[in-house]
Amino acid sequence: MKNRITDLRAERGWTQADLAQRAGVSRQTINAIETGRFDPSLPLAFRLAKLFDLRIEELFLDE
Amino acid sequence: MQAHNEIKASARLVLWTLAWAATVALAKFGPRLLWDPPQQVASWAAVAVNLAVGIGWIVAFTGFLRALDELQRKIMQDALAVTLGVGWVVGFSYVVADAASLVARDVDIAVLPALMGVVFMIAFVVGKIRYR
Repeated sequence: MKNRITDLRAERGWTQADLAQRAGVSRQTINAIETGRFDPSLPLAFRLAKLFDLRIEELFLDE
Repeated sequence: MQAHNEIKASARLVLWTLAWAATVALAKFGPRLLWDPPQQVASWAAVAVNLAVGIGWIVAFTGFLRALDELQRKIMQDALAVTLGVGWVVGFSYVVADAASLVARDVDIAVLPALMGVVFMIAFVVGKIRYR
């Protein structure tokens, strides 16, 4: 699933490790989500959307 | 917090694994080295302790899986699925081949867990690389 995490993270000056720590997951997980190789669970998707102050459908793109 | 939980669960799993291995060794070598074979009570007690510790190991492993980050859990579960599948398929192939008298000599049962261990390690590393 495509998403806007890389751009939004860069806007905030967060590294993958920063975002991973805020979301309570590993850096590898953030990297795998950003590259579209791993789709997060609904709770993690909600957590990520909340961190960027967005709704899930604004963060993850259904294509 | 997540990393702290993972470290705690990993440490608990390592301790239970060591305890289980120790009780296997006790049940296997105890009758020969620590007490005489006729003492069946001691042998049964060693087997019972091994089973009890084995149950503790299963509980610790379940806790370890729950403590993992969701991607790490997926990698672990995929590796476990491949390991179970290979163990199942190879195990039954051997049973069928043996029943058909195609196997010249008996294979040590210890080969199966060793094979499953190798398969698990390979599948785990492949999963780590895939989601790198």
